[in-house]
Amino acid sequence: MKHNTRFRTFSTTLVWMWLGIFVLIPSFLLFATSLLVQGDSELVRLQPTLHNYFRLLDLNYLRVFLRSGLLAGTCTLGCLILGYPFSYLLARMPDRYKGFLLLLVIIPFWTSSLIRSYAIVMILKTHGILNSFLIWVGMIKVPMQFLYTQSATLIGLIYTLLPLMILPLYASIEKLDFRLIDAARDLGARKYQIFFRVLLPLTLPGILAGCILVLLPAMTLFYIPDLLGGAKTILIGNIIQNQFLGARDWPMGATISVALTLLMGMVLFVYWRFYHQHRHEYAYEQN
Amino acid sequence: MLFKNLISLVLLSVLLCPFNTTFAADNVLNIYTWAGYLSDAVISQFETETGIHVNVATYVNNEVLYAKLKANPDSGYDIIMPSSYFISRMRKQALIQKIDHSKLAHYRNINPAFLSKEHDPDNEYSIPYLWNGTGIAYNIRYQAEKSVNTWQDFWLPRYKNQLLLIDDTRECFSMALIALGYSVNDQDPDHIKAAFEKLKALMPNVKLFNMDAQRSIYLDEDITIGMGLNGDIFLASAQNSYLRFIYPKEGFVITLDSIAIPVEAKHVANAHLFIDFVLRPEIAKKIALESGFSTPNRAAKELLPLKVRTNPILYPDAETLKKGQFQTDVGEAAPLYEKYFERLKLEE
Amino acid sequence: MNTHMNRISKVAYLLAIYLFLYMPILVLIVYSFNDSSFSLLWQGFTFRWYESLMQNTDLQIVALHSLLVGFLAATGATGIGTLAAVSLYRYQFFGKKLIHGLIFILIISPDIVTGISLLILFSTLKMSLGFWTLLLSHITFCIPFVTVTVYSRLTGQDKNLFEAAKDLGATEGTIFRRILIPLLWPAICAGWLLSFTLSMDDVIISFFVTGPEFDILPLKIFSMVRVGIKPEINALCSVMFGLTLVIVLVYQLTLGKNNDAI
Repeated sequence: MKHNTRFRTFSTTLVWMWLGIFVLIPSFLLFATSLLVQGDSELVRLQPTLHNYFRLLDLNYLRVFLRSGLLAGTCTLGCLILGYPFSYLLARMPDRYKGFLLLLVIIPFWTSSLIRSYAIVMILKTHGILNSFLIWVGMIKVPMQFLYTQSATLIGLIYTLLPLMILPLYASIEKLDFRLIDAARDLGARKYQIFFRVLLPLTLPGILAGCILVLLPAMTLFYIPDLLGGAKTILIGNIIQNQFLGARDWPMGATISVALTLLMGMVLFVYWRFYHQHRHEYAYEQN
Repeated sequence: MLFKNLISLVLLSVLLCPFNTTFAADNVLNIYTWAGYLSDAVISQFETETGIHVNVATYVNNEVLYAKLKANPDSGYDIIMPSSYFISRMRKQALIQKIDHSKLAHYRNINPAFLSKEHDPDNEYSIPYLWNGTGIAYNIRYQAEKSVNTWQDFWLPRYKNQLLLIDDTRECFSMALIALGYSVNDQDPDHIKAAFEKLKALMPNVKLFNMDAQRSIYLDEDITIGMGLNGDIFLASAQNSYLRFIYPKEGFVITLDSIAIPVEAKHVANAHLFIDFVLRPEIAKKIALESGFSTPNRAAKELLPLKVRTNPILYPDAETLKKGQFQTDVGEAAPLYEKYFERLKLEE
Repeated sequence: MNTHMNRISKVAYLLAIYLFLYMPILVLIVYSFNDSSFSLLWQGFTFRWYESLMQNTDLQIVALHSLLVGFLAATGATGIGTLAAVSLYRYQFFGKKLIHGLIFILIISPDIVTGISLLILFSTLKMSLGFWTLLLSHITFCIPFVTVTVYSRLTGQDKNLFEAAKDLGATEGTIFRRILIPLLWPAICAGWLLSFTLSMDDVIISFFVTGPEFDILPLKIFSMVRVGIKPEINALCSVMFGLTLVIVLVYQLTLGKNNDAI
């Protein structure tokens, strides 16, 4: 009996201790900070208040949340659309090449994302590679404006976050029993039927994982949008950074973070419920 | 089996890890500065002469330096180089300590025009290192030469969606405040609000806010008119002869980056040695040439090549220099500036 | 005919995505030979950045620091993250929902918030900033990525497997070692790779928690943006990229014959 639980105790204790010290305590400190008030010479004044949360109800903040959400959502969708077929094709490759091809996906991302973003800048600049190429082949006469636009920001974000979508998708697709697909095909199912009724439900965990891993950073990344988009529009990441650094209003920064966490939590909760419901439906249909 | 391997791997890594015993060692100096402000050559020379080992880390702006120091005063750094208005804030919040002038034989080399400013009267807490001025940069291939002379010109309709503004609250507001005739350190909420309204009116003309290297943007002609730092434009114009830089007639901002010693610094004696070292004319000259910015060191300026020291971009005449305003801490008004700057971008 | 077209379009799609991923890399490699300090446009060919890189021991040390932390952090995070995923999936224990929540908080927290809160923690514990605070922080923020990846592979596993093993007398430890790890191996590797990537690239958290004696590459690069990133950094990145590519190719050619490859 004692032997049976030794590993379990070790595992749960280790996880608890690590997360407790490095996540629970700092999170608690953060939440406590959000209840305080900005100080002048000290960072915070020990004066508990809910004032910061009321400040959040400003229309402008809601607009920023919406804008960031839209950008993050579009980016996630883009990553999903680009990444799903890719992960699928990868998972169907012969075993010999799978690992290698997967590594090939990751390797570019061991180069600093900043440098790669600058490379994208080099490509999209007024006299940059893309424009020079287009002028050279005669498609345009005058350089087009690619940089400092919403599209540039989107491209940069998708580029940076794509592997976060590919990896969990791949892990999920790879474990599928592909005979299921062959069986479906034998039974006369058409491509889209196979996709929607077999593939999609079975790989839903991977899709969700990928979406979570992409959506959340996409909400808070600010450097790449600033670099490629020209920093004219403000996103949540900018606001939080401004609070901590520029305005030195740590309590407000903490408040926005807490609010963001709660909001994302609600989104995830909805996702989770939908997934569980769907699973039940699928199981029911199977019977 | 796997488990055992894992344990041995972890143990091996632990053995290979650097243990920070040198932290408390005496012959060390930890410098925290802007990128490009301190070249390897200067550091090597200092190390050879004094035998002190130097660690240099770099930060990207004043705000992060301040946040780091504030959250953890025992940061480990002995030398930092904040801009003037952060010097005054850090001074008031007891984050930096007094500098012993008796140890600085070369202090007299500094141009008095840069000493005893409002942010640090008597320079008890900071020693000027490099300065830069914010002016207007433009490209004569796209803009008529001498067509731009004042900050007010930025508001002309013909510059729609063309301008580059520096992505810094104080810089942008300084521009508007100067155009309205106020001081860049104005704390009057009505004046600040007026500056905000003025900036709001400018937004249609703004193409981008830039917080990184302007050099490549102007050099590669992505932008043909906008705000610029004198040193950046000077270097860019060396490679693109169409670039021009002017100090607007109404006035401009002088950013003075100075050396300071954090309160919890562990190697104060070494820090003083370093400060005196960089005040030497030959060293200050090297620093100026390598960073591309202007030195407040009179003796060093005399040693610069003729083309550099007579260049009106880097070293404007005394008349022009007088119109420059040094930034200092705006105290209570600081959050107000930040809120307005945020609103500027929010209401886009 | 149909399958032939199919095959071509599949390969074309894969290639297109790979091109998308590698285009910026190619650009940065080419520009490491650019004869200009500031311009981001092509000005001519030169080797001087590679020459100055050879002599720039500072930059080399900083790069090695990053690799060291990346390797250790990825390994640590993979260990703890996998245990977390397994524990959450298989065991009922006190505060399980809370652990779920903590992992979620880690992912959703913006870097700057994680960085500052960890800095405050270290400051309160009077730990001096440097290698250890950096490593602990990196492990921490990589854990959720491993957990999510491994967990998504766990769901849908046949629970009967574990019941059967238990009936045969296996301890939890054995189940973990002999069943779970091989089963989850692709996800574990994916998690490790993800963590390594995130660690190598992290700027904001590292900025707040590292000390004067331990500088890392992304910080160095980030701080250079104000003056413009010299092609020397491009040269360094090209070298690192080239080395990694060579290692991966060698691995594939020599061990690729192994059927159990990922």
